[in-house]
Amino acid sequence: MSQSLTDGDPALKPAVVPGRSSGGLRLLLSNEFGLAVLIALTFTTFALTLSGFTSPFSLFTIGRQIGIDTMIGFAMMAVIVTGGLDLSVGAIGVCCAMIFGWLVQVLGLPIFGAIPVTVLFGAGLGFINGYTVVKSGVHSFIITLASMSIFFGVMIFLTKANAFNGLPPEVQVFGKMKLFKTISPLLLISLAVCAALAVFYKVTTLGRQMLATGANPRAAQMSGIRTGAIVVACHMLTGGLAALAGLLVTARTGASVPSMAGHLGQDWLLPAFLAPVLGGTLLSGGRVSVIGTLLGAVFVNVMTSGLLLMRVGEFWILASLGIMLLVAVLADRARQQFLTTKGMI
Amino acid sequence: MKLLSKAAVVLLLSAAVCAPAYADPGTKVALVPGGPHPYFAAWEQAGADAMKDFNLGAGDYRVPSKWELSAQSQLLESLLTQGYNSFLIFPGDAVGTTSVVQEIVDNGGQAIAAAGCLKDPNPALFCLGTDTGNSAYLGTKELIKAMGGKGKIAHFTGFLVDPNTQLRIDAVQRAADETNGAVTVVQVIADIDAPQPAEEKINAYLAASAANVDGIVTTAWVPAVVAANSLRKMGDKRIKMVGIDHDEVVIKAIADGFVTGTMLQNPYGQAYIGSYVLDKVRAGCTIKADAPWKSNALTSKFIDSGTVFVDATTAPNYVTAMVDISKDLKASMDKDFLSCP
Repeated sequence: MSQSLTDGDPALKPAVVPGRSSGGLRLLLSNEFGLAVLIALTFTTFALTLSGFTSPFSLFTIGRQIGIDTMIGFAMMAVIVTGGLDLSVGAIGVCCAMIFGWLVQVLGLPIFGAIPVTVLFGAGLGFINGYTVVKSGVHSFIITLASMSIFFGVMIFLTKANAFNGLPPEVQVFGKMKLFKTISPLLLISLAVCAALAVFYKVTTLGRQMLATGANPRAAQMSGIRTGAIVVACHMLTGGLAALAGLLVTARTGASVPSMAGHLGQDWLLPAFLAPVLGGTLLSGGRVSVIGTLLGAVFVNVMTSGLLLMRVGEFWILASLGIMLLVAVLADRARQQFLTTKGMI
Repeated sequence: MKLLSKAAVVLLLSAAVCAPAYADPGTKVALVPGGPHPYFAAWEQAGADAMKDFNLGAGDYRVPSKWELSAQSQLLESLLTQGYNSFLIFPGDAVGTTSVVQEIVDNGGQAIAAAGCLKDPNPALFCLGTDTGNSAYLGTKELIKAMGGKGKIAHFTGFLVDPNTQLRIDAVQRAADETNGAVTVVQVIADIDAPQPAEEKINAYLAASAANVDGIVTTAWVPAVVAANSLRKMGDKRIKMVGIDHDEVVIKAIADGFVTGTMLQNPYGQAYIGSYVLDKVRAGCTIKADAPWKSNALTSKFIDSGTVFVDATTAPNYVTAMVDISKDLKASMDKDFLSCP
């Protein structure tokens, strides 16, 4: 479910230590398993107690939001892998959504032609981040804090904060499409990307090199990995995924809107961190949990939707999300300590 | 004192625009701003009063936890799931909110855009709000008058992602241009309709450039409050200022001579009368085809909820000014916009 440097590749596994315990217990103690249980419990509780929670419209809107938040989470996850951060995820997402709007509405490009160009543009913005991080040696927190303002500022300057709302109707139709009355295609796209990323980190050399660079950059470098190029590649992947997230939000709103991620794109920061961290991706790098990120987004949205229906007060939802993030971090630390004590890691 | 004046506003406005009870307890109105902001505080009481006066099933003020388009959309979707069928919405974004309003309509609900408009084409019944460009223009004209027809103006305004901000900037510039160079806009500071950036940028600007400015016009709530406070702290009555809205800080600064006047808007009237119209329409009334719509940069179905300038002589009775514009609005709705069986 989660990939770290020692998964999958026998050559990279540590020597077997007698007495180390079973994979079953490890599974039970994993973030993903804990999240799956929590999701099942909360969903069942809300379904039994809240009228309307399982209505087709409610399930559709929850699923659609999960699709968007998962993609935003993947974008951040891709750079957390190396122990870095990208605060400009929201700004990149909005810039890409606006580029898509410009390509389709102003230049008249067909939708399916504009999508790859938009994703490449996102990867290009990611390249700027990654290249600057590697060349300057400054932490990505500082670089992306600056690029967040630059990307967003240039976008506002060029668009004068005007949306592209003359997109082909197919865009909005797609965002509102209900498969089997409840499933949003936006969710299916995120599931497809989830599968692709899981394979990427598990199987491909580049994915493994990203994990190795995050786990121990010096060791990775001494093993012949060009860690600088890998960091740039991670930022490019982040940019591409942020572009996809921007496209999903564009489909949802039926327009390319400069405020879709708030001022400077900051509205995306909480979902960007919440999903991967809840899912078990290590902020220090070297371990990634693709399924966990998906489950993190599912849990957050089930909770949010349930709390909204319970009418506990909108401001409590923010507090709840903060508490969830804190509990997730503490639980992960406790899990790590337990596994270390038992000699399982 | 604040409480008393708020109570007075509520009582007087209720009495002024109160209509015979309209019995459709099935109308569940949700009043949803774009996020937490003092401008919308009057909506809560207006919704409660409308619920009581018009016998609505609900008149609930629900605030998204943060000023975020997706938070507002999620809240609206949840309210629809909870059975609300009538919505008074300040669009989190003039374009971005359209799709969720369309979903409300597709699911049998109805909506009015209030205090801010959706960009056409949109599925809302209409937009009920302040003509922001006109308000900024009139406010600047009053400021120029107070400055003796010449001098330099600084303009403090709202978020750049809000298309109204550009309208306000253009309107202030237009009023200055009409003086043939006698008045110039020397500084526009935008993106400051929140306490932290407003305090930081306005205070820094005045500390550095107060001597080079003869007038200040503010076209957003928080900058008006912060600028009024700054002028009071500086003890500066040379710089003339025209603010916006009716925050107690601004009203008191007008009375004490630190601020020349303010452009009042009508948030209570928007929410109260908007709820009334939603109930009427749900009960079978229609909007007249030949209604005297105004138009603005966003929509051609715009109703001006009223704006009025108050200065030191009229500020003590600003509640009366708000009552008057609400009375006119209610009468106009019944006469010009609604057609009931």
